[in-house]
Amino acid sequence: MAFNGKVLLADDEPHIRKFVGLLLKQLGPVSIIEACNGQEGVARYQQERPDLVLLDVNMPILDGIGALRAIRQIDPDAIAIMLTSLASRQIVEEAADLGAVNYVRKDTPKDELLKTLRETIEACFEDDEPAP
Amino acid sequence: MESTDHSNRIDLQGRKILVVDDDRLNVRILANILKQEGFTVSEANSGEKALEVYETFRPELVLLDVMMPGINGFETCRQLRQRYGEKTAPVIFITAKSESDDVVEGLSAGGVDYLPKPVRAKEAIARIRTHLQNRLLVEQQALLVDQLSKANAAKNKFLGMAAHDLRNPLASIRGLAEFLRDGVVGELTADQLDLVKTIHEASQGMLDMVNELLDVATIEAGELKIHPEPTALTELLAKAVYLANIDAAKKGTKIDFHSNDHAPTLPIDGAKIKQVINNLLSNGVKYSPPGSLITVELTRDDQHWSFAVRDQGPGIPDSERGKLFQDFGQLSVRPTGGEKSTGLGLAICRKIVDAHHGTISATNQPTGGCEFRVTLPS
Repeated sequence: MAFNGKVLLADDEPHIRKFVGLLLKQLGPVSIIEACNGQEGVARYQQERPDLVLLDVNMPILDGIGALRAIRQIDPDAIAIMLTSLASRQIVEEAADLGAVNYVRKDTPKDELLKTLRETIEACFEDDEPAP
Repeated sequence: MESTDHSNRIDLQGRKILVVDDDRLNVRILANILKQEGFTVSEANSGEKALEVYETFRPELVLLDVMMPGINGFETCRQLRQRYGEKTAPVIFITAKSESDDVVEGLSAGGVDYLPKPVRAKEAIARIRTHLQNRLLVEQQALLVDQLSKANAAKNKFLGMAAHDLRNPLASIRGLAEFLRDGVVGELTADQLDLVKTIHEASQGMLDMVNELLDVATIEAGELKIHPEPTALTELLAKAVYLANIDAAKKGTKIDFHSNDHAPTLPIDGAKIKQVINNLLSNGVKYSPPGSLITVELTRDDQHWSFAVRDQGPGIPDSERGKLFQDFGQLSVRPTGGEKSTGLGLAICRKIVDAHHGTISATNQPTGGCEFRVTLPS
């Protein structure tokens, strides 16, 4: 299944945005909206209403957990995946409680990352699209 | 006299001594001797008074008469120990009776020594100096230990921070190199591909190292938390062996797994135990000559499950055994294919296994090679 949605990618590190951006493009013809902190992420969400949100946990101004909370308030059905560097159980659980569908560790090898993203997206969007 | 030597190292001048005796003449004689030696002296003529004076005077040593009206010396000592615990100044009893029962009671009340009456000045001074010195050395030691553990905590915090901040950029370098390598952004020439592969391997190596540093820092900061969940150990091992075989094949090495039809489900932290397994497997491959056979075996006895990884490497030199599971405990044995080692892997394994209340050991095999065995309570 090729994913052709609109993805909001919020991370304060440009190299991560570049890397994850390339990953997303492997999944299909996605359009990517970038944000470099949580606050900008929330604002961009409000304007663009993307299909999927990828949120870094550690960001200046507003962190990923704060951004997730704000985005889920704007849209309780927002689909968000957290990007973590350390899989702190506490943060993962907090994000899950706030409705994040999954988390990925940024230092996971590329193919594994891709697999997790693909599976998560397939699980979230399979209901919306008619079976081929 | 030896105590004179010591006094050169630790200055006892002006140290505070509390003299307690209901006989005012005795107090005066003792106090005069001590003052002549340069000590600061305070006096009390009963146990009750001694408890009062102790609180404000805070002596560094107490000379305590045993036979006194009101609470006697032993009881006074007990109460001091109760109030001030380990920090109580050393107490030397002054006693006319030197029967061993008395001495025993004094020592069990928390005294460190006793002086028989009538007190002989030279003996008293020598003993007092010795106990003061002991006391001060213990205090210095405690201070040093405290400073060292603070320095170690600071080191761990620094390691953690450095490793954390190095990780993300490294992961990106590796990931972006992978994209280039895989031709996602266009085909590369053979030379370009060679460079990109080098970038990829170097960043992978650094990432592994940083991850190990971070693990050590986290574990030492006491933040190694395991979350035991029922886990199928056989599956965990089989999967790890399958993945490790991919790397092993590059050296022509093969890893065999024998589960002996066991399929235990154990309350373990799967991710952490997987880390242990991966480390042992990669060590086995790393230190065995190319083309070796590594065997992994799962066994059980009454109380325990254990898995063993047997390699065909040179084994552990006896003289270096002590270093094996220590931080940065690199041995003289080197990897056979130019692989890297931080010397942290086995230290991390030991800490993870410890947290599971298990054991990890290494035994040289009579037929050559080494066996690493992890035993987990079932």
